[in-house]
Amino acid sequence: MGSQGGFGQSKEFLDLIKSIGESRSKAEEDRIVLREVETLKLRLNDPNTPKYKLKEYIIRLLYVEMLGHDASFGYIHAVKMTHDENLLLKRSGYLAVTLFLNEDHDLIILIVNTIQKDLKSDNYLVVCAALNAVCRLINEETIPAVLPQVVELLGHQKEAVRKKAVMALHRFSQKAPGSVSHLISNFRKKLCDNDPGVMGAALCPLFDLIAADVDKYKDLVVSFVNILKQVAERRLPKSYDYHQMPAPFIQIKLLKILSLLGIDDKKASEQMYTILGDIMRKCDSTSNIGNAILYESICCISSLHPNPKLLEAAADAIAKFLKSDSNNLKYLGIDALTRLIKINPEIAEQHQLAVIDCLEDPDDTLKRKTFNLLYKMTKSSNVEVIVDRMIEYMISINDSHYKTEIASRCVELGEQFAPSNQWFIQTMNKVFEHAGDLMNAKVAHNLMKLIAEGFGEDDDTADSQLRSSAVESYLRIMGEPKLPSAFLQVICWVLGEYGIADDKYSSSYIIGKLCDVAEAHPDDDKVKAYAVTGIMKIYSFEIASGKHVDLLPECQSLIEEMLASHSTDLQQRAYELQSIFTLDAQAVKKIMPMDSTCDDIEIDKNLSFLDGYVQQAIENGAQPYIPESERLGISSISSFKSHDEHEPSTHALRFEAYELPKPSLPHNIPPVLASSTELVPVEPSYVADILHPTSAPSASDAGSSELKLRLDGVQKKWGRPTYSSPAPSSSSTNQVKVQNETPRPDSASSSKPTIHDTAYISRKQQIEISPEKQKLAASLFGGSAKSEGRHLPSQKNLKTQNHTSDTYRSSKAPAPDTAVKTSQPPPDLLDMGEPSIASSTPSVDPFKQFEGLFDFTQETTPVSTGGVHGATKDSDFTSLFADMSLSAQSHIDPNPEPNGLRGNKVKPSGNQLNKGPNLKESLEKDALVRHVGVTPSGQNPILFKDLLG
Amino acid sequence: MIRFILLQNRQGKTRLAKYYIPLEESEKHKVEYEVHRLVVNRDPKFTNFVEFRTHKVIYRRYAGLFFSLCVDITDNELAYLESIHLFVEILDHFFSNVCELDLVFNFHKLWLWFAGFSPDEYAVLYTVQVYLILDEFILAGELQETSKKAIIERMGELEKLD
Repeated sequence: MGSQGGFGQSKEFLDLIKSIGESRSKAEEDRIVLREVETLKLRLNDPNTPKYKLKEYIIRLLYVEMLGHDASFGYIHAVKMTHDENLLLKRSGYLAVTLFLNEDHDLIILIVNTIQKDLKSDNYLVVCAALNAVCRLINEETIPAVLPQVVELLGHQKEAVRKKAVMALHRFSQKAPGSVSHLISNFRKKLCDNDPGVMGAALCPLFDLIAADVDKYKDLVVSFVNILKQVAERRLPKSYDYHQMPAPFIQIKLLKILSLLGIDDKKASEQMYTILGDIMRKCDSTSNIGNAILYESICCISSLHPNPKLLEAAADAIAKFLKSDSNNLKYLGIDALTRLIKINPEIAEQHQLAVIDCLEDPDDTLKRKTFNLLYKMTKSSNVEVIVDRMIEYMISINDSHYKTEIASRCVELGEQFAPSNQWFIQTMNKVFEHAGDLMNAKVAHNLMKLIAEGFGEDDDTADSQLRSSAVESYLRIMGEPKLPSAFLQVICWVLGEYGIADDKYSSSYIIGKLCDVAEAHPDDDKVKAYAVTGIMKIYSFEIASGKHVDLLPECQSLIEEMLASHSTDLQQRAYELQSIFTLDAQAVKKIMPMDSTCDDIEIDKNLSFLDGYVQQAIENGAQPYIPESERLGISSISSFKSHDEHEPSTHALRFEAYELPKPSLPHNIPPVLASSTELVPVEPSYVADILHPTSAPSASDAGSSELKLRLDGVQKKWGRPTYSSPAPSSSSTNQVKVQNETPRPDSASSSKPTIHDTAYISRKQQIEISPEKQKLAASLFGGSAKSEGRHLPSQKNLKTQNHTSDTYRSSKAPAPDTAVKTSQPPPDLLDMGEPSIASSTPSVDPFKQFEGLFDFTQETTPVSTGGVHGATKDSDFTSLFADMSLSAQSHIDPNPEPNGLRGNKVKPSGNQLNKGPNLKESLEKDALVRHVGVTPSGQNPILFKDLLG
Repeated sequence: MIRFILLQNRQGKTRLAKYYIPLEESEKHKVEYEVHRLVVNRDPKFTNFVEFRTHKVIYRRYAGLFFSLCVDITDNELAYLESIHLFVEILDHFFSNVCELDLVFNFHKLWLWFAGFSPDEYAVLYTVQVYLILDEFILAGELQETSKKAIIERMGELEKLD
């Protein structure tokens, strides 16, 4: 029977199909197919195989490939068949190659010639076969080879050829829009083709073109409306009818085009109203295809300039859809409703019950469509029900893609419409509990930001209520097993920030809880980092408020464990925490100001306060600043070598970065962008130069490439023992400064040179330390150390921001610090230069310096740089403010940044204390160097990198 | 735009597959496996639409064969559902004339008795014809001819060559 009708399958083929159909296992099927493959190989390669047999073999080959086996050995035979004179063979050959080959297959080149020839054939069937292959196999490179012939075929006498030629051109315009841009008028012409099939085909490319640029085709509105009218009035041949509807597929395509043309265009819309009304009336709503047209009409109406009558008709049609028994129609009804509520929000209310039914339908497709509708119609009055439903569904599904989507929608709706703080916190808890690990880190940061900032109203009590209800619920929930990491991070951050804010809980209770979290998640460095920073904040608040604090035993053991951690981030945080206990209340207050996450930080990017210092240095014989580009090529390398000997481990890393300082910039930038745009603005070159020193030690530990890059310029400084010791003291301030610095993109261009100068000078000074300079350094030391620290912190901050998008926080708190820091940059270099300077630093009261910083950058600056500062700063500040405010608003940094800021401040003090011994030792021993480096830079950026890495 | 069309039997064996976007061979098999899994166990009362990655699959079942179309998210589901039916009507018409058999993708049980061939095996026998019809119906991922008569005439002209 199989051979009936002239298809000519052999008994062999029938048996093959049957045996495969009857095979009981995949293994059996594979055996049969492999045998078939061997047979086909032999037969196809046999030159004596008759041609008519070849055709069947190729078809059997198709079958083999369809079953999942490799049939590539036979591709060439299919290609050969396309060359055959016999139309039957040629046709089968073309069919096979379009199925076997992709447009980028090597064999395509062998077919292009044949296609070119066949497009010129007198037999239109040959031309059609070739055009089918053109649509499938011609790629961007081979378009020019066939384009002229295809264009010519647009005028072919056979409508089938014209139609395929239109489709081929459509394909070309999809693949390489430029190749046919001069031929677009042909599509317009083909709208007027006598044959409806050709006209219908021309609608496809026109739809794409109109979607790309509506304005160019407004003149066609009348034509499309006319065509649609004729179609609807049954002027087309009856053969286009489908289920009694006139040419429905063409109608639908036209409706799609009209809805594009009518968007935001009252005049065009008005031209369409009549025909749309006619179509809505004439549609047979008992057939699927009639409903398809109805649905498309509704979509069209919803995108046009609103017309009350049509909207009413659309609403009626939607009501019918929703009342239908068919899920397909309900689905379309829900979708149409989603489109229409944008214009008329009330319409959904009539269909409440139907919508609820759809929501409870076991059909996931329908359910999701309904959730989409609910999402669009959420307002503050119904947010609770909708979000509860969404969460319920979210918990029940396994599809992580959709889970993520629905979770972020819950968060979005909650933020927008939350009726109460308690509800919001509870909702977020549920979302994070069940989907925390699927969600973008940004969502968690947004939550922290929201808790820190409140809902934007100027209602402090509401904000503090929000916070305390968050703290309470987190304390309740945090003992539960298997909480997602992102959620734990939020918890730790909130507890650290607000755990003791309303005096409800004792600090030791909160700290104990945080220790528990860190202990319970030994493998999650990020959570541990958040926890330890939380602990540090609590202690800082306690110390700052003048209370006597004892380190809890569990906390002590946690710190000890972290000091030995492989993660430099954790190490640094632990050191920071340790050092806090060595400071007095006032210093701690500056380092970790209470509830400062939302404060803005300002940075003097230009480092104008250094101008006086630079001037003085040059007068004293220092070399003037050499631009980065020049410096990179020569000086950096030489300095680098000397460093290598001291620090082999870090050496490799630094080397890369050092050689190509500019490359390092891009590295910095991408991460920043990823986390937060605000931070990004920081100029990479500047940051890279300044920051490198501080980050270098930590970088060596981590061994990450990013760290290395940043370290380039810095390393030299670090290499010196003196430098390392001062750095810690400045680190806290540095961090702040860094933050400030980063935000100032505008000033960067102007400020950069000065910064470079100072850095450069400092290096030089290190090399040739004149007594005068040393004195200067000593006087400035605190400041200088700070400046270095600032630079480093900024780098770190940048890094952290990238990682965690925590920048928000850091930027806020450090603002005052930044100003101070900027004034101090010159000393850094000096510090590096000599240990004696380091010793002198203690004499300078670090706290005072801090205070100065806090008060104002300008105040501090006069000391170091004099009048220059003021002038430059003023202009800089404005730009800074703009940047800062933006950044602050956009991002609240959760744990990492706060740590960085506060931690940095703390660290400096700790460093100062340790400086004497550390500096000397560090020079001699790598371990010490690292240690020192870690503590000073200590900052989150590096740590974060580790964690992230 | 249509991304691909698949004919699969209930066991998930692909009987016909045509892709209008370039895909690696391995990726094709993955797609076929996933689509089959998505559609095979759906309740007949459910919608004939399923989300598939960033697209959607419109499927329709005839006897033991699933016809699945993968289309863009903005496409009209019902229209494509009907285009599947139109395609089947054309196949039906074509094969009932040419083979003097009742129906190829028949909804009748007749098939199961017929020489032990199941409908989907029959589809393989007529692979070439089905592909040729498909090429007249869909080109470059778009419906190129929606007139049943025009397609049947074209196929008639091709048949004359045999």
